[in-house]
Formats: sequence, structure tokens, C-alpha cells
Amino acid sequence: MYETSSRRFVFLKSPLVMKAISLLRSTSARRALSIALAFVIAVCLSGAVFAQQHLSKRYQTGKNVRVELRNISGTIVVESWNKDEIRLSATIESPNAHIVPKQMDESLIVDVMSDNRGRGDVGDVNFKLQVPVSSSVDLETRRGQISVSNLRGASVRAHVSTEGDIELTNIVAGQVVAQNTIGNIFFDGEFSTGGTYEFKSTKGDITIRIPGNSAFRLVAASPARKITLGDFWNNGFKTQDGRRYVGDVGDGRSSVSVTNFNGQITFMRK
Amino acid sequence: MNCEKCQELIHDLLDGTISRSDEFALNTHLKECLDCESVRQDLSSIVTFCRSHRGEYDAPPNSQALWLRIRNVVEAEAANVPVKSKAVRKSFLAELMGRSWEMSLPQLASFAVAIMLLVSIVTVVAIRRGGNNPGPAEQPREQASNINERVWQRQQVINYWKQRVELNKARWSPEMRDTFERNLLVIDQAVNQSLNELNRNPHDEISEQMLNESLNDKLVLLKEFSDL
Repeated sequence: MYETSSRRFVFLKSPLVMKAISLLRSTSARRALSIALAFVIAVCLSGAVFAQQHLSKRYQTGKNVRVELRNISGTIVVESWNKDEIRLSATIESPNAHIVPKQMDESLIVDVMSDNRGRGDVGDVNFKLQVPVSSSVDLETRRGQISVSNLRGASVRAHVSTEGDIELTNIVAGQVVAQNTIGNIFFDGEFSTGGTYEFKSTKGDITIRIPGNSAFRLVAASPARKITLGDFWNNGFKTQDGRRYVGDVGDGRSSVSVTNFNGQITFMRK
Repeated sequence: MNCEKCQELIHDLLDGTISRSDEFALNTHLKECLDCESVRQDLSSIVTFCRSHRGEYDAPPNSQALWLRIRNVVEAEAANVPVKSKAVRKSFLAELMGRSWEMSLPQLASFAVAIMLLVSIVTVVAIRRGGNNPGPAEQPREQASNINERVWQRQQVINYWKQRVELNKARWSPEMRDTFERNLLVIDQAVNQSLNELNRNPHDEISEQMLNESLNDKLVLLKEFSDL
């Protein structure tokens, strides 16, 4: 044992090691070493990036197409464009994940859950869809953000089972549903005559930005008593100690339901 | 002469006590009326038969015993009266069913008034009984226990899905497990918050709505993750 220790001591005292230690003590050498290390990390990361799959497909459709997307984890971004086709692009984290979109009549169905049953954890799949302006979209994810913009279709549904913000911008649809457990919900659009609109979160803020001349019947509930109706408040509203507001704005042509457990409900005028 | 007077005179004729004038009038009528003639012939043959067999029939040796037997038969028949009345009731029911139920306007009006009276009486009795319900102090307790019972029932379904989720959890990524647990906790907090509020005020509609919605959310979350 003593012999081994003495050998190590001899090794540390060897001229080569002594030279290396003295080199490390110099600033320029340390800088060179840092650069080398950064390079190695960058190479490793780029390898990881290259390990991701990319999917990009185009589907010829009509104007009133319906898109159904069931994701497990990851973001979903939907935008409109002036083409009668859908462009689907996805970044797939796991090499094991499979995505097989199905086009049927006037609808496109992407079901990550069904496509990967029994494959274990498939990680995040981040989608970006470009769809015709008058498309209807039905989007679901267990976890992740959903963003939809510039749509004028029949319906928009965005459902996040757990946490993830939902952002619906410039939406004009007869039916809108946005629901999550933790996360903010933002709606910017118009309420159509006879339309139904439902926004629900357990822990997050719900903000609704609509034109000043909007007409709707509102049922807004927040046990935390954080409801701000802003310009849309009128004396016709009935309230139960600030936790629920029920009333008509204008002639109440559409039906709006907003439920929030712990966050703020805010109505804003565009 | 009418038939009634004729049949009275037939008895006199057979007894041999009829006057000549009556006999003439009777014979005249009998020639014209076949029914009365038939009655005369029947009675005449009975009387002739009795006269020819006079003395052949003796009185029963024990007339007292005969009367007793007759009385027994009568009493036995009297004992069967309920059976008879049953039969009568049956026939009454049959008659009732087979009867035409067309009612006149006054009958209909009185029938309607009778129904209204009956309904009013029943309503008054029901309201008075309602007044005997548990007092205001007991009602909230009862309602609270109803709420707890409903929650318990929902909880059974939730437990089933929770077990299914537990079986699959091992396959999830650590991030997904954390996310699920965090969100379930948030929903549980909402459930408990609503329950506490309802225990304080069982009539609180908003808390009841929130409780229902958060229990639904929990169930949906568990169902969605049981597939994962």
C-alpha cells in the first residue's frame, strides 16, 4: 500500500505532469482549453439536433377543411394562408416516434397518440400547420402551448389537458372552446351571431379581447372574485357576491361562458 | 169481458160455483180468446187429475223432521250467500266495464269539480306534511351529507381511473409524471376549496357548480392520461 502511494507521488512529481500543471496555470492555455471544450459541446448538441426528425407534408384540400390534431406533448401552431391546401410541418424529438397523418374527404387527422401506442415515451412533437382561412380546427395536447391565428372557420377547439398557454388571435368562428388546467388563455376575435364560446382554466388568467359593439350573453364565474368586465359592464348584470356575473351585452346574440378557478377573467375592448 | 175477469171466472167454473150469466159470458170469451181457453184447459186437466187420484197421496209420517230438513237446506244455501254475492259483484264489474261512459255535461262538470276538490285536499295535506320536514337547522346538515355522498360516488369512478393511470405511469417520462402530478394537485385543491365552501354554505350554487366542474375535469384528466 505504501509502495502504491509512493509510486503515485513519483508520478505526480514526473517532469511531464509538472509541465502540464504549469501550462494550465497560464491564462492563454486556459482560454484555449475553454474554446476546445465549447467546440466539443457544440458538436454534441448539433448531433442531438440532427437526431430530431423533421416532417413536412402538403395536402390539397377545399376551402372548408377540418383539421384534427391529437398530440401528446409539444407545441401546436396553426396559421392561415391564402391557399386551398394544408402544410404540416413537425419537429419530432424522439427517433422512435411515428406520425401518419390521414386525409379523409375534407378533413386531415393527425393522431400522435394512436400512431405511437405501445412505443413508450415519444417526447415532444412540435407542430406547425398552415391551413385555408375558413378551416375548422380541433387541437388537443396533454402538455404544451397551442396558438391559432387568423382563422374564419366554423369552429376552433383548443384543449390542453394539463399545462400550456392557449392563444387564439384574430379568430372569427361560430364555436370556440379553449380549455386548460394551468396556463393563460387569450382570445382575440369576434363573437358571431348565434355562436357559442367557452373558456375554462383552473389556474391561469383568461383574457378576452373583442370589438366594442359585440353582443353576447355572458356567464362568467370565478370563485377568486377576479372578474373585470371593463367596457362591457352594464347595470343589467346580475352578480353573486362578485364570484359570478350573468347578463347580456347588447342583444345577447351569442353565448359566452368563462370559468376560472384561481385566475383573473378580463374583458377588453379592441 | 177482459182476460183478467175471464181467468177469475175459470176458477168458479171449475169449482162449479159460476152463475149462468157468467158462464155464458165466459164461454163467449173463451171462444174468442185462445190464451184464456188454453189456461182453462190446463187448469181443468190439473183439477181432473187431482180428483181422479184423490186419496193416493198420504202426508209424510214425520212432518216435523221434514220441516227440519227443509230448514237445513235453506240455511246451507244461506251460507253460500258470499259466493253468490261474489258472482253478483263479478257481474256488476262486467256490467261496469261493458257500460257506455258517455256522460252528460252536468255529469262531466260535477266530475271535474270532484277531481279539483280531491287535488286541492291532497295538496293541502302534502303542504302540511311538508311543514313537518326537518327543521332549518337540520336541512343544511342533510344537504351537506347529500353533497358528500355525491362526491363519494364520483370519487369511486375517479378511483377506478386513478388505478388505471397508476399502471401506466411507469412508461411516462419524468417530465410528464411531474406535469400530471402538479395538475392533479391543482384540480384537487379546487375540489377541496369547493367542498369546504359547500360545507359552510350547502346552498351555494357557485361552489356546487365549481365542485361539479372540477370533479369532471379530474375525471377527464385521468381518462386522458390512462391512455398514455
